[in-house]
Amino acid sequence: MPQPEPASVLPHEEKLPPRTDLWTAAVFLAAGLAIIYASWRMPTYREQLGQIYTAPGLVPALYGGVIVLLGLWLALRSVGRGALRAGAGGRPAPREGYSSMRLAGAAALCLLFAVGMVGRLPFWMATAMFVFLFILLFEWRGGQAWRERARPIVTAALTAAGTGIAVVLVFERVFLVRLP
Amino acid sequence: MLDGLSQLGTAFAGFMSPGTLFNVLWATFLGIVIGALPGLTATMGVALMTTLTFTMKHDQAILVLVCIYVGAIYGGSRSAILLNIPGTPASACSTLDGFPLARQGLAGRAMGISTTGSWLGTLFGIVCVALFTPLLSEAALSFQSYEFFWIGVFGIVIAGTLAGGDPLKGYIAGFLGLWIATIGQEPHYNHQRFAYGWTDLAGGIGLLPALVGVFGVAEVLQAMRAPAYRVTSKAVDSIFPRIADVTKYWRTILRSGAIGTFIGVLPGLGEDTAAWSSYAAARRASKEKEKFGKGSVEGLMAAETGESACVPGAIIPVLTLAVPGSAPAAALMAAMMIHDIKPGPMLMVETPQFFYQIIAMLVIADMAKLLFGLTLVRPLLWILLVPRERLMPIIFVLCTVGAFAITQRVFDIYVMLFFGLVGFVLRELKFPMAPLILGLVLGELLEQNLTRGLVISSGDIAPFFTRPVSGVLAAITIFSILWSMPPAQRRIRAGIRGVFRRPQRAD
Repeated sequence: MPQPEPASVLPHEEKLPPRTDLWTAAVFLAAGLAIIYASWRMPTYREQLGQIYTAPGLVPALYGGVIVLLGLWLALRSVGRGALRAGAGGRPAPREGYSSMRLAGAAALCLLFAVGMVGRLPFWMATAMFVFLFILLFEWRGGQAWRERARPIVTAALTAAGTGIAVVLVFERVFLVRLP
Repeated sequence: MLDGLSQLGTAFAGFMSPGTLFNVLWATFLGIVIGALPGLTATMGVALMTTLTFTMKHDQAILVLVCIYVGAIYGGSRSAILLNIPGTPASACSTLDGFPLARQGLAGRAMGISTTGSWLGTLFGIVCVALFTPLLSEAALSFQSYEFFWIGVFGIVIAGTLAGGDPLKGYIAGFLGLWIATIGQEPHYNHQRFAYGWTDLAGGIGLLPALVGVFGVAEVLQAMRAPAYRVTSKAVDSIFPRIADVTKYWRTILRSGAIGTFIGVLPGLGEDTAAWSSYAAARRASKEKEKFGKGSVEGLMAAETGESACVPGAIIPVLTLAVPGSAPAAALMAAMMIHDIKPGPMLMVETPQFFYQIIAMLVIADMAKLLFGLTLVRPLLWILLVPRERLMPIIFVLCTVGAFAITQRVFDIYVMLFFGLVGFVLRELKFPMAPLILGLVLGELLEQNLTRGLVISSGDIAPFFTRPVSGVLAAITIFSILWSMPPAQRRIRAGIRGVFRRPQRAD
């Protein structure tokens, strides 16, 4: 039986296509230039006898300048690696078992909870609803009979209720933390 | 010397109450669980618990956080050994030999080696904290703005260079973090930078919501995208460490302890770099090189000792320079500030008792880790069986509470979400996250010291290069940047070869 390879977890191990780096460089170049422009427009307080070295825009402009230089370096490097050649913009090979659908679903639910529920509903209720929906969405299997579905629904409901109650009890009563 | 021992004794005695020991036990256990569960990291654990313990007394709160930190770095090895998935990035190296040992039916022995290596590594690091912190602190008292400016830049550059992967992207992430730190009111005229009339933004970006976003929300998204993990082995042999493993590999333990502590002291690098460096050094020096990657006891011991020695190492620059040695240490430093402890050169002058308390906390946490490492094997296996679909929404709820709790602003929840998204995208684009967070932490130190230095010297930049310590730090920084450029690196190598080449004999 072949031994599985050790897990690759370092985020830098797989190489990106050079054109992706070129686009990234363009974004950082634009961001750096925008920072310099915004810093340039900040007051210098010279009329209040302030020294130029304490001008509010000096340090951010310096960082903006460095980001522009580093963005240029990244752009030149990606061009050197063939970013402008035909076919250089290929997408990286999909990783086995990774799912963008799961990612989108999780992101949407997290956003719904943090922006749509927190502050609008009592926190225990928002938490319970979020946990219930999350578990149900990701444990739902198509093609199951309703009797088979009862178990994940009950599990999700119990976990959700338990989390909602535990979060409020532990944080408000034990740690004396105010909840949103 | 005797005064120091007496203060250390007082610090230990102060932590010997039943309530404190209870805190030690639950916090260390929670840390091990956080570390063991893939998708939860030590940084996230420390950041979350920082917000939840801020109503505690400062010594109790920091003790809980130190226990979480020490436990989480150790806990990652459990999933590395049993699942072939590191619980934290620091344990990635432990998969190389830990998982092959488990597949040979030696999961218990592997966990025993991991426990021994981790315990000894942290002890080694604690000795270094006790020996070197006062010396470094005394040296740092003579530093002026010029030196502190270069410490900030050096931190960003060294974190970018050595954090793993592409140094250029590390630098970009670092300077992005520095820029983010400038958002909000600046220190001289209270001018609101990049706020555009948004009152919440004028208050600046909080470090903890950003940390929770980058290391919490982004991890939740990553975990949901990745395939589900399965426990491959539930059968565990004896986990009690063998004395022979320690006596046979004592050189490896000492070497890895020294490497781990040294990497910890360097700003922003952290436990994963420490583990890989220790592993590489052990492999180079080993008489059993062929076993590495196939279940080498020495390899696993090196990785575990290195990563755990890094924990106390990363606290040394926090205490002496207010510069974190790793991402979890950045969260710990933020917690110290929240509790009115001022990390930096003046800490040993103003609150010397805190230095002894930190040593006592590390020792107590290390002992609790040993206790749990040798006893709680089955419960940790059960925890690993919890499906991520049920775990991740709870983690996200904790992240939300954590981001909100300190300042009680809903804005901080949005900051967390934003940094979660930014962290996720940047990771996908292969940007390391440690320099980004280090930039955010060092932003204030760097700006204050740059402007103060320029004002003192009336705009003359010469003192930034001509003062001895400044000059050395500037030289190392510039050398690190040049070394990361392949053409410059080739020239430097050629130059070095030219210097050391023997002159050819003229015939």
